[in-house]
Amino acid sequence: MSEQQRVSLMVCAGTGCVSAGSLKIKEAIEDELKKRSLEKEIGIVLTGCNGLCAGGPVIAVYPDEIFYQKLRPEDIPHLVEEHFVKGRPVQKLMYKMPAKRKAIPVMSEIPFFKHQVLRALRNKGLIDPEKIEEYIARDGYMAAAKALTEMTPGEIIKVVKDSGIRGRGGAGFPTGLKWEFCAKVQSGTKFMLCNGDEGDPGAFMDRSIMEADPHAVIEGMIIGARAIGANMGYIYVRAEYPLAVKRLQMAIDAATEAGLLGKNILDSGFDFNLEIYLGAGAFVCGEETALMRSIEGKRGMPRPRPPFPAHKGLWEKPSVLNNVETLANISPIILHGAEWYRNLGTEKSPGTKVFALTGAVNNVGLVEVPMGIPLRTIINDIGGGIKGRGRKFKAVQMGGPSGGCIPESLIDIPVTYEDVVKTGAIMGSGGMVVMDNNNCMVGMAKFFLEFTAEESCGKCPPCRVGTKIMLDILTDISEGRGKEGDIETLEDLSHDIIATSLCGLGQTAPNPVLTTIRYFRDEYESHIKDRWCKAGICRELCSFHIIEELCKGCGACLRGCPSKAIVGEKKKPHRIIQDLCVRCRSCYDTCKFNSIKVLPAGFEGEPSELVETAAAAKSGKGAAE
Amino acid sequence: MADDIKILVVDDEPVVIKSCKRILEAEGYNIDGASGGREAIIAMEQKPYDFVITDLKMPEVDGITLIKWIKKSRPETGVLIITGYPSQETIKDALELGIIDYVPKPFTPVVLMDVVARAIEWKQKSVPAEAKKKEEEFPPSMMAELDRMISSYRDKPGSLIPVLQRAQEIVGYLPPIVQKRISKGLNIPAAEVHGVVSFYSFFTMQPRGDHIIKVCLGTACYVKGIDEVLDKIKENLHIGVGEITEDRKFSLEAVRCLGACGLAPVMVIDHDTHSAVTPKKVMQIIDEYRTVGAKA
Repeated sequence: MSEQQRVSLMVCAGTGCVSAGSLKIKEAIEDELKKRSLEKEIGIVLTGCNGLCAGGPVIAVYPDEIFYQKLRPEDIPHLVEEHFVKGRPVQKLMYKMPAKRKAIPVMSEIPFFKHQVLRALRNKGLIDPEKIEEYIARDGYMAAAKALTEMTPGEIIKVVKDSGIRGRGGAGFPTGLKWEFCAKVQSGTKFMLCNGDEGDPGAFMDRSIMEADPHAVIEGMIIGARAIGANMGYIYVRAEYPLAVKRLQMAIDAATEAGLLGKNILDSGFDFNLEIYLGAGAFVCGEETALMRSIEGKRGMPRPRPPFPAHKGLWEKPSVLNNVETLANISPIILHGAEWYRNLGTEKSPGTKVFALTGAVNNVGLVEVPMGIPLRTIINDIGGGIKGRGRKFKAVQMGGPSGGCIPESLIDIPVTYEDVVKTGAIMGSGGMVVMDNNNCMVGMAKFFLEFTAEESCGKCPPCRVGTKIMLDILTDISEGRGKEGDIETLEDLSHDIIATSLCGLGQTAPNPVLTTIRYFRDEYESHIKDRWCKAGICRELCSFHIIEELCKGCGACLRGCPSKAIVGEKKKPHRIIQDLCVRCRSCYDTCKFNSIKVLPAGFEGEPSELVETAAAAKSGKGAAE
Repeated sequence: MADDIKILVVDDEPVVIKSCKRILEAEGYNIDGASGGREAIIAMEQKPYDFVITDLKMPEVDGITLIKWIKKSRPETGVLIITGYPSQETIKDALELGIIDYVPKPFTPVVLMDVVARAIEWKQKSVPAEAKKKEEEFPPSMMAELDRMISSYRDKPGSLIPVLQRAQEIVGYLPPIVQKRISKGLNIPAAEVHGVVSFYSFFTMQPRGDHIIKVCLGTACYVKGIDEVLDKIKENLHIGVGEITEDRKFSLEAVRCLGACGLAPVMVIDHDTHSAVTPKKVMQIIDEYRTVGAKA
């Protein structure tokens, strides 16, 4: 931003917005500004992920913080004319609360942003991630300078330890302690590693940080390397994240050029070199010992611990592995101190946590909140509640394949490591997938078991064989071959797998099954005993029926039916011919009058029974719930 | 069937050609004759043959030289030999060159017919293998680039995975021949190279199509119905995950979370991310790539 610019336009260039067309929006704005000779007054910056991916493409106008969303190129001439020439922000392009008309102009007043506190994401949407100057302008590398020139390694570790920050990768091990273990080991060679192998399906926090603020990760690594005495570091990134890789490489080059990496950094006598290592697609490589094997160029299989990596890690040398988000938190801690860090969060879970909020909510996106915030606030206020008319919150999945589903009855728990673990889920790396009443919990458990069975490295039998047997049982249940005792077998197997697996993958793989059984046992039972998937997801276990009393005969379902199984005249109740129905659910999703019900497979009830079901539906206790 | 099959009989004794002609033409095969290795090469340059039946001992260009030429220049042609000296030595040489079978001289019509029929059957069975082998022949420039790349990593510890990633960029996939080259170049056992290739989902031993369709199987995409989208693609392209369409236009891959959950369900074709894909929309999106050439 140069002096004479009166306005800065932050155009989001995160993956979400780019695919929604934000680069075309940028071009359109540039064209319009040129036409009006405003290009010198108004600067445009392409930033990393702004967070509100659901509204993409989004832009924020500074200094007034006016937020525009869902822009189309054809909106731009009007926007430029009104806002930048006449000075009247355009209401119709602003954010509106779901189900409300009133536009909210200022970003920090939008509920999605209002409840957030940005620490790891402090530069989100504010800087061009490809320019080191912009990072430095926002106090970037000040903490590294402080750590290298004013602090001893022991002092660095003390601050990080006092801050109480816990590893953000999932297990929540105290970062300061990890550094201290490694620092104590005498060795000529040590390694500082960063885990950017974000593998949990439904999680994209680390990707966003690496893309939006790569220098924050590098600075965290420099400080960590200094603390433990490592001169070499690797950032292990998934090959599926090409933009993150590109930006990190640019950042490493720029930092090396500026003398912030390499030999004798800032004249402190400390050397640190950093390289990117591309992962090759194996979920288990998120496990620390497996990740180190992978950097060595081998099959990424975990090994028993001890010895811990702090003693024998990469190439048998003492190593520390930290998650991306953890590292992004380090520089503010060094700069502002442990006390400052602890002013948010709880005693045992201080600070903030970044979540990737996705699934059935209105505002999907990236959020950073203080620890201890109620889960409900995240889902209802920040997430804007459940998307779609008539849909209801059912559960939220936290922790990916290692985590579990938290039901509505527990939605008021504070989000901390301890409280989430009590529910049977785990904090995990921060994936938060919201599910509504149209999701089947048996199907959900099966989805995660498919994942872990496929990703099990095969080294230890409890995980390799156990997950496969569990998956077979779940497949049977969801396809109508479930039998009495299956639920108990699943529980027994789960406990055995947890107790005997070698690494975290196996030890946590049964969690999705255990939590769904714990909170949604009736759903398992109705699959097994009644051959009834009430959500209408398991095709072999449901049938769709139109309730005559509720059907208005609009014909929407009839037009959308791929197998022409629906018959009926206009304005008269329609009927589904069961023999033709392929149970694709398209009628169910189409119907605006809630007149289609999910009943057990092969249901051939009397009309009177259907009427009863309809009456129940009217009183709010429908069969579909 | 039989009249599609063209056979060239090579012998310096005209009577052998004549009798072969008589016996095999009665079976419906197309038979030409050549009186020596040189004549055979000239004939084969004019038109393709399915099989060559050749004598080994001939003046000027002999049978072994002819077989070597065929293997190099007409590898799709099957070779049978007729020999009056079925000594271990000559037969062994010929077998090593990859002949299908041999006919001892003198022979009865039944023996000749039998050997030819078996050769045809064998060749039909092995056609796919042959075709595959042909694919694995890469342009020398590509192999040179591969070797250069491998040697630049030679002394770096832990370089196997980066080398495999670069090799896959260069060749497009990692067939056994490429893995062997890497094994030699880095001095790592081939079994270990293969172990790493098969461990990581990023590596593929199958060739890929002009366009790569990646369907995200992450949780958010699952919750929003990606499996129906995937089914639609499979049904319409007639391929499963990890396979390639017959016209080599598309290959289909299922990937773990792409980290773009805000856009779920997500599909990536080449480098374009397509968001909120529905079963209805998906084939329309894919069809747009049909007319586009291979990605740069």
